[in-house]
Amino acid sequence: MKAFGYVAAKDVGHAVALLGEYGARAKLLAGGTDLLVELKFAAHGPEIIIDISRVDELKDISISDEGLRIGALVTHTEIIRSPIIGNLFPALADAAHSIGAAQTRNLGTLGGNLITCVPSMDSGPTLMALDAQVTSASRSGLSQVPLADLFVAPRKTSLQSDELLTGIIIPKANFAKPAAFQKFGLRKGQALALVNAAAAFWIDQDKDSFVQPRIALGAVAPTVIRAPRAEAFLEGKAITDEVMAEAGRIAATEAKPISDFRASADYRRDLVAVLTKRALQSAYARASNKVRESVP
Amino acid sequence: MIDVTIVVNGETRRASVPPETTLLKLLRENFALTGAKLGCDVGDCGACTVIVDGMAVNSCLMLAGQVNGRNVTTIEGLATRDRLHPIQKAFEDTGALQCGFCGPGAIMATKALFDENSDPNVKDIRDALSGSLCRCTGYTKMIEAVQEAARVLRSESRNSSHTRELKVTAP
Repeated sequence: MKAFGYVAAKDVGHAVALLGEYGARAKLLAGGTDLLVELKFAAHGPEIIIDISRVDELKDISISDEGLRIGALVTHTEIIRSPIIGNLFPALADAAHSIGAAQTRNLGTLGGNLITCVPSMDSGPTLMALDAQVTSASRSGLSQVPLADLFVAPRKTSLQSDELLTGIIIPKANFAKPAAFQKFGLRKGQALALVNAAAAFWIDQDKDSFVQPRIALGAVAPTVIRAPRAEAFLEGKAITDEVMAEAGRIAATEAKPISDFRASADYRRDLVAVLTKRALQSAYARASNKVRESVP
Repeated sequence: MIDVTIVVNGETRRASVPPETTLLKLLRENFALTGAKLGCDVGDCGACTVIVDGMAVNSCLMLAGQVNGRNVTTIEGLATRDRLHPIQKAFEDTGALQCGFCGPGAIMATKALFDENSDPNVKDIRDALSGSLCRCTGYTKMIEAVQEAARVLRSESRNSSHTRELKVTAP
């Protein structure tokens, strides 16, 4: 690695002050699983590394009036093991478990995964399907935007160079909304997603129909995307395998995948149809099990 | 230069290193602990796996500054002078290593698994070893070794709980 300076931030205020001072000349170090790889291949190091890995106030998983907050420095392993997340959003734990291997999940953080802004990230789709917001801090104060607005282009977020992502919030209105995550990679372990997909929806118990369905897709567009036409198709429809399969076919027409050495665009479109259907089926099965468990 | 103080295998160690020094380099070049191996250097192969504060990590993906004040266990911390750790013994007995380069990492990943789960099933074991790439064994023998080590460790812990009052532990 090329030489750089190093400073460990004590808290968010300290990190924000440092970012304000150095801006684009600094890089933030959270889990380091992506950053260190980037630095090892970089022709020039940053002027300074601001190590935020010990900023404890960004490591909380907590419930407030607004919703579930997950701090930016919560690791994938902590997401997998969190009883709150396991209870409210098991799909988030599934997505976290599909990332890398134990060694990388123990270091890698939610915030770090989101700000890489790679289209194949596994944290994005489920959070987007659950209408997550992202919070950030800078010298000018705090701000909050929908997660979808964070993703601008491959490896480019809407964050300014003096802005620190502090966490995500899943709104209270979506607590325990049935959701599921699906991923297809070339191996079971340590694989990047050829395609990943998440689905979330409420169920009208009388009509057994879709309410507020959300579908989010990864690795098939410049950023993680929603599939609005498939969502509109599902709204109010009775929940059947045929309807879920049709939603998958519609979602496939909304994807804009590329061909690369991992898979062709056509293959990825086919995967969108299959994974969307499976995500819908799996979320529905999860909801049905929950209802069954709650019946005395 | 940055000053770091870490506890490695129970011993406090200090070093003054450039900020871009990884934990792996610190261990190998400053502390002469060459058990953790430099394989891919990008967090894929797991040959550099060590345990930091109870968690298996790729030491090639941590900066020395990040581990300042923390506890690190490396493969050198497992065996005593006259006895291999049961995980090492099981890997040896089962023939789970051929060239052996991935061994220290795979064994530390196994140690971290046992610290969480003393009775893992095959799926748990595969999951725990998925970050330890081995080009020789095909993994089958490794999984058998982990199962064998788990059996030995469970039976040792049963025995030691029966005879704890009689046992004098070495320092």
